[in-house]
Amino acid sequence: MIASNFPAFATKGTFDLGRHVYSDSGWELSSVSFSARESGRGVNDDVALVTAVLQKDRKATAEFVNTYTDSVYAFIRRRLSPRHDLVDDLVQEVFIAAWENLTSFRGTSPLRAWLLGIARHKIEDYFRRLLQSAQSLEPEAAEELPASELDMDAIADRKRTEQRAQQVLADLPEHYRVALQWRYWEKRSAREMAEATGRSEKAIERLLARAREQFRRRWLA
Amino acid sequence: MSEGFRAPSRLKSRIYSALLERQREDGPLLSLSEVKARGRRLCVFEQLVQIAPVGESAKQPNLCRVCHARALAENIENAPVYWPGCPYAQFQNR
Repeated sequence: MIASNFPAFATKGTFDLGRHVYSDSGWELSSVSFSARESGRGVNDDVALVTAVLQKDRKATAEFVNTYTDSVYAFIRRRLSPRHDLVDDLVQEVFIAAWENLTSFRGTSPLRAWLLGIARHKIEDYFRRLLQSAQSLEPEAAEELPASELDMDAIADRKRTEQRAQQVLADLPEHYRVALQWRYWEKRSAREMAEATGRSEKAIERLLARAREQFRRRWLA
Repeated sequence: MSEGFRAPSRLKSRIYSALLERQREDGPLLSLSEVKARGRRLCVFEQLVQIAPVGESAKQPNLCRVCHARALAENIENAPVYWPGCPYAQFQNR
């Protein structure tokens, strides 16, 4: 199945990412299943629950945890794959941050989306820290950037290749994997990544080029 | 593109404990009498404290902190915790 898909990516020779859908109402939310506890909840239920949690009602706090942990866990686990060892701590950080900022929840969007927004920030914090500390972003003398033939966007978009892509990503060195995930799965531009990490845009582009080349080699292997 | 991942019960237990600890640091929790008045179910230990002839301040501490159910649930996946009204029993993926 993968092999038959490959020529379609290989012939395009582009890294344009404009088509990938990534919004609270689209790919992001559809990528995480609703738990049975979440289904049927309305915004009014969320506001009532948040109010009770802020009043330090311990049973409401238990309901809050029991209702939303599965979604946050799945959201983070998917994006940190294969670093499953980091997932639990990050999920806990999301809930602590949620408690610290719960007064800012206005009920204009579902509580689940609000929590996943915090989760996304936490994931990007991890990406940023990792790339900030990656030594290999420094320019190398007379480096020739590889020209990849793969359409990373198409690979990231296609459900059928998603699993294979995740396997290939999992085999990459961590800073390459994070760079590709941040750029192509989280839809951040090289400029945004550069600003977040304090690196130059050119350094990020070089890193991405090397990461894509590593990805390509493993994809074709 | 459903992922079907469920959070481990241990993680939920630890998050709940951490949240209650943060809440407690900010001041007393809602007393058990008020929690019950809202129609929430108390566990058997909380009920004992709730009906005891003590002041409201004695009904505000986080009793789970000293409960065996918490210790079990934070360390064992699908811990054998079955008390009705116990949040840690509620977190088990059974």
